[in-house]
Amino acid sequence: MKEFEKILHSRENLSTDIPLKTPTAEGEGGCGVIGLASSSLIKGKHLKKAIQRMLNRGNGKGGGIAAVGLSHEDWGVDKETLEQNYLITVAFLDKSIIEEAESNFIRKTLDVKHEGTLKLKISEELQVDPPLVKFYFARVNEQSLSNFMTQYELEDKQKAEDEFIYQNSFTLNKNYYEALGEKRAFVLSHGKNMTVLKIVGHPHQVYEVYDIDEFKAHVWIAHTRYPTKGIVWHPGGAHPFIGLNEALVHNGDFANYQGVREYLAQRNIFPLFLTDTEVAALQFDLYSRVYQYTNEEIIEAMAPTTERDFLMLEHDKQQLYKNIQNKHLHGSPDGPWFFIVAQSKPTEYAYNLIGITDTSMLRPQVFALYNGEESIGVIASERQAIDAVLASIASEDNRFSAKADRYWNARGGSYVDGGAFIFSVINRNDKKKLICTNKFGEEITPIAKSDNKELDPFIKSIILSSNILGDVEATELINNNTSIFQLIESIRNLNENSLDDKFNKFRLLSHILDRKHLIPNSFDGRITEILETTINGILDEFPIIGEKQKIVKIDYDSRDNLIEPTDNDQMLVYNVAKFQSEGVESASRQLVEIYKMGWKKVISYNWEGQRFCGAGLGPNSHGFELHVFGNPGDYLASGLDGAEIYVHTSAQDQVAQIMRSGKLVIYGDVGQTFMYGAKGGEVYVLGNAAGRPLINAGGKPHVIINGTCLDYLAESFMAADPLRGGGFVLLNGLTFDNEGDPVNLPTSYSGGNLFSLAAGGAIYLRDPYDTVHEDQLHGGEFIELSINDFDLIHQYLMNNLDLFGFSVSTEKDETNHDVYLKAYKKIIPLKNTELTKH
Amino acid sequence: MSLIELKINKHGKAINRGIDTLALLKSTIPPALGNFRWTKDLILSTYYQALMGEIPPETMNYKTGASGGGFDKLKFDFTESVSYDSISQSEIKLSLELNKRRNGKSLTIQQPTYGGGMSFGSVSLNFMLARAIAAENLQTLTCTGEGGYPTELFPYSKNIITQVATGLFGVREETIQKSPMIEFKYAQGAKPGLGGHLLADKVTASVAKMRDSVEFSSLFSPSPFHSVYSVEDHKKHVDWIKAVNPEALISVKVSTPKDVEMVAIGSYYAGANVIHIDGGYGGTGAAPEIAKKNIAMPIEYAIPRVHKFLEQEGVRDEITLIASGGIRTAYDVTKAIALGADGVVIGTAENIAVGCTHCGNCERGRGCQIGIATSDEELSQYRDLSWSVERITNMYKAWKKQYKVILAQLGLKSIQELRGRKDLLLYGGK
Repeated sequence: MKEFEKILHSRENLSTDIPLKTPTAEGEGGCGVIGLASSSLIKGKHLKKAIQRMLNRGNGKGGGIAAVGLSHEDWGVDKETLEQNYLITVAFLDKSIIEEAESNFIRKTLDVKHEGTLKLKISEELQVDPPLVKFYFARVNEQSLSNFMTQYELEDKQKAEDEFIYQNSFTLNKNYYEALGEKRAFVLSHGKNMTVLKIVGHPHQVYEVYDIDEFKAHVWIAHTRYPTKGIVWHPGGAHPFIGLNEALVHNGDFANYQGVREYLAQRNIFPLFLTDTEVAALQFDLYSRVYQYTNEEIIEAMAPTTERDFLMLEHDKQQLYKNIQNKHLHGSPDGPWFFIVAQSKPTEYAYNLIGITDTSMLRPQVFALYNGEESIGVIASERQAIDAVLASIASEDNRFSAKADRYWNARGGSYVDGGAFIFSVINRNDKKKLICTNKFGEEITPIAKSDNKELDPFIKSIILSSNILGDVEATELINNNTSIFQLIESIRNLNENSLDDKFNKFRLLSHILDRKHLIPNSFDGRITEILETTINGILDEFPIIGEKQKIVKIDYDSRDNLIEPTDNDQMLVYNVAKFQSEGVESASRQLVEIYKMGWKKVISYNWEGQRFCGAGLGPNSHGFELHVFGNPGDYLASGLDGAEIYVHTSAQDQVAQIMRSGKLVIYGDVGQTFMYGAKGGEVYVLGNAAGRPLINAGGKPHVIINGTCLDYLAESFMAADPLRGGGFVLLNGLTFDNEGDPVNLPTSYSGGNLFSLAAGGAIYLRDPYDTVHEDQLHGGEFIELSINDFDLIHQYLMNNLDLFGFSVSTEKDETNHDVYLKAYKKIIPLKNTELTKH
Repeated sequence: MSLIELKINKHGKAINRGIDTLALLKSTIPPALGNFRWTKDLILSTYYQALMGEIPPETMNYKTGASGGGFDKLKFDFTESVSYDSISQSEIKLSLELNKRRNGKSLTIQQPTYGGGMSFGSVSLNFMLARAIAAENLQTLTCTGEGGYPTELFPYSKNIITQVATGLFGVREETIQKSPMIEFKYAQGAKPGLGGHLLADKVTASVAKMRDSVEFSSLFSPSPFHSVYSVEDHKKHVDWIKAVNPEALISVKVSTPKDVEMVAIGSYYAGANVIHIDGGYGGTGAAPEIAKKNIAMPIEYAIPRVHKFLEQEGVRDEITLIASGGIRTAYDVTKAIALGADGVVIGTAENIAVGCTHCGNCERGRGCQIGIATSDEELSQYRDLSWSVERITNMYKAWKKQYKVILAQLGLKSIQELRGRKDLLLYGGK
């Protein structure tokens, strides 16, 4: 027998009395998830702020956190004790059994180096009392370990000890925790240098209850749960769930819980908590610790590469993946899911944060990376939560930035990056270092930073294109400043003689923000941070509503003072901070009030993830212009019918759902299901769209996406012929290099589903190097552009140029349509498909 | 009159005459009518009620079909019934409050049923209008279905539910803002796991315009909402509708999977006012037979399960449970309520009231040959609007009379008192 077989064999007697067929898994619902990894120790309270911003993704019936790579001072031990011992944390729901449990499962077989009890602040807000948590730094004692090794003929001492700990906890749980019966105690975590805490409540309450705001760790994950069943809850059902050295949180649910259970049972693994998340954690532990799989192999086993993506892989990789799939495909979780795993690597003194996306990208996820003096990677359900945690950290520690250098979405099982990313905190030259790799182990290289660089003369042309400063003033600004940061500061400090001057400063800075992608090294999160903070500072200074000024401001505290504008030109600055995300007191309802009062131009800022920005304006909202700064939440501009919305940042999921008319400009990326069911409107996106954009859209939407989309673009598209007043999507497949120049992505579209089952409309795909092929179309065909197509897209590309300041063609002669003909392909629905049969 | 008008007039009248004759036919019943679920007697007695507005004569079985199970095997236990006259029928209340939460606007309907979603395209505008006007007359509601909200219906907007379904056809802020209640259609009991579909021939120019789609090209709604893959997405979905129309009640229409009670409680916590469970056996001829009869749980099983579960969770009195899917008669309605529903959604019976023969030919070609489930302009006019309104209104009038008879016999003063009184039902026998 091989070592891993012996390990699995040793579990044979553990679970003989557990029936394979269980009552159905608990009604698991959706969730909000977040995780971070940093080269520096991060205090718990920072993550708390971010998860608090996603309260609407949970219902207070389960919250939990995990921390990996701890600070030994927080636990009252020395570094060596922390790193060498298992940290066993046990939740006691019934205090009367502490002694019994300790004597059976701690004292008898373990050598405890240090133990303690976490402080517990009972909060009246909690419906269910949080468990008392005791922790033990311990190793398996020599006698027990050697007995165990002899009994099962194990040879590797380290693996045997790991397995002993695992089985010891399993038995404790089995004795004191029945998912459907009495619940007295269970093991929260038992890995090295890591801990897990969970309660019935919201995750931010975990920090308060156990007083761990100041606890530090290199890796944190947090989870807010939205279970749907039952009135009575218990903390054991909350996430994270554990393997040995990893904790896993999950958003989504499996369709094949029972199947995965059976797959695990074949390997003597029996879950005890009846949720699909638990089986995922056990699966991860099986692959990582027992089978000793690499991260790539683990990810492939859980989110297999299929269909076209598989075919696009190199031969060797196909062979490897085929073997993995043959063995594990029937155990891979099916359905919508997104995992964040925090992992301790005790032998390497390293820690990992891993985000894995399901192959259909059915759950929201955003990855972000900041590299600086210290580096940090964040993964979350929403981009706004990432920015919340970064802002919280940056406010205390200037080695960090409030914005990441890059943000991206992933497509599970993608041949391009594998759809999963690993942030590893490793040791290099006695210092912790953060590196980010994709599934294939390719490093996401840190971007070049803008510090101490000369100011690029190109910025002058950006300044001039704003038509705010003249040539002389612009030249002066460029000559007097040596960095972009100085430049921003100088603009901030320009003389102000009137409100108009203030407004012009705002305009100039927001113009630079809108052109940021053209500035060399502009991916540095700090540039965005400084620009946005400066813009917010200027907007803060506008006089409060009520004053007879050309521009006035309203905020949460002055919201009751809202009055009609004095005339059509009066402008309103709207500070969204503190407004609710949804409901009658929400930011979006306030915006509707503003619109109904007759305001025509509104500059909104400080969005903190509030949803539905621009929804509810009703039909024919033409003539209303809204600018958005900050972090608008999901469903932005959904239902838009006439108004113009300019989003000077990235947007999240469900943008412009059922949009009907009007104009939407997004100076960044958009998330999942962008323009689902949209019927019209003119829309420009500077960056990428995530999964399933323009599904079931019809009518006459005119959409330009300058980046790419993950997959399923314009499935069931049913717009009319764009040359006869119908709709189209123009996909440019571009990104920007470090010099601020537009460059082609490796492929304009990597997904295997493009324009599937479409009945009408067209896609104009910029694909000069012919990287998108027939096999990606399902019911569409490529045709050449006609002169009429050229005329149509030319006018939109000119608007695109005005908005984003770059031309899609490197050729000088923009009016020469041969340039377009070479670069663009048109995709139209195949005639006589199934759709017209009956 | 133009030739076409003459033709419409002639055919329309002839069809109406036929339907009326059938209803009053004394002796031989046409042999080809009906099936086990919608028996000849049920179809003809519905015609009778639609014509007369009265309880049919006892010579017809207007109470049960011949399916051999479910509602057809359930009957009320009248053995301990109070004397027929001890409760004055005028005292009996049939109204239903749809908003049982402590906050928000009240929305009361004057009978325990409202009309189910049938989309513009699947049925004619004429029939939609007739349903809407009848709903207004009866002070209840009807539903747009997923094909959009034709402007002709705007005058009746107080009585119209806007449906938001997976295709998002014709869903606009305007129509969300007009409605007293918004219905999310997550699934249909007649075809769970399948989105709505409308085949090419029925996607006429006006239907395509309403749906912003391509003329004469089939439409298949996605089976799920692409923006809703879990309960927190659903909550967000509800919050979105409330951001557009804060006063609207929210109804969540789902099918009856084996964990239907989980779905119900999830919907409650996400803010729904109405949980609408749709069992198998409903649906028009457009739903595939194999799906109608084999996928969803029969509604008779689902109602008591959900009712009981909501009671256990302590939220039963804060949410309205609406049942649908194969509920054909006043007796079915009262049985569904006795099983635990607050009210019922009716679809097919309204079609029958205006002359549907349950032939099942709703989907192919131009659709219904007598002008109900069609989008063809000529066929649509075979049903006269005011005639249709009267028929639907009459049917419900007759039903209300039956509710009162039943309630009086059971000694109950309101239809709401009947809710969950399974003890009043007997199973089996003739």
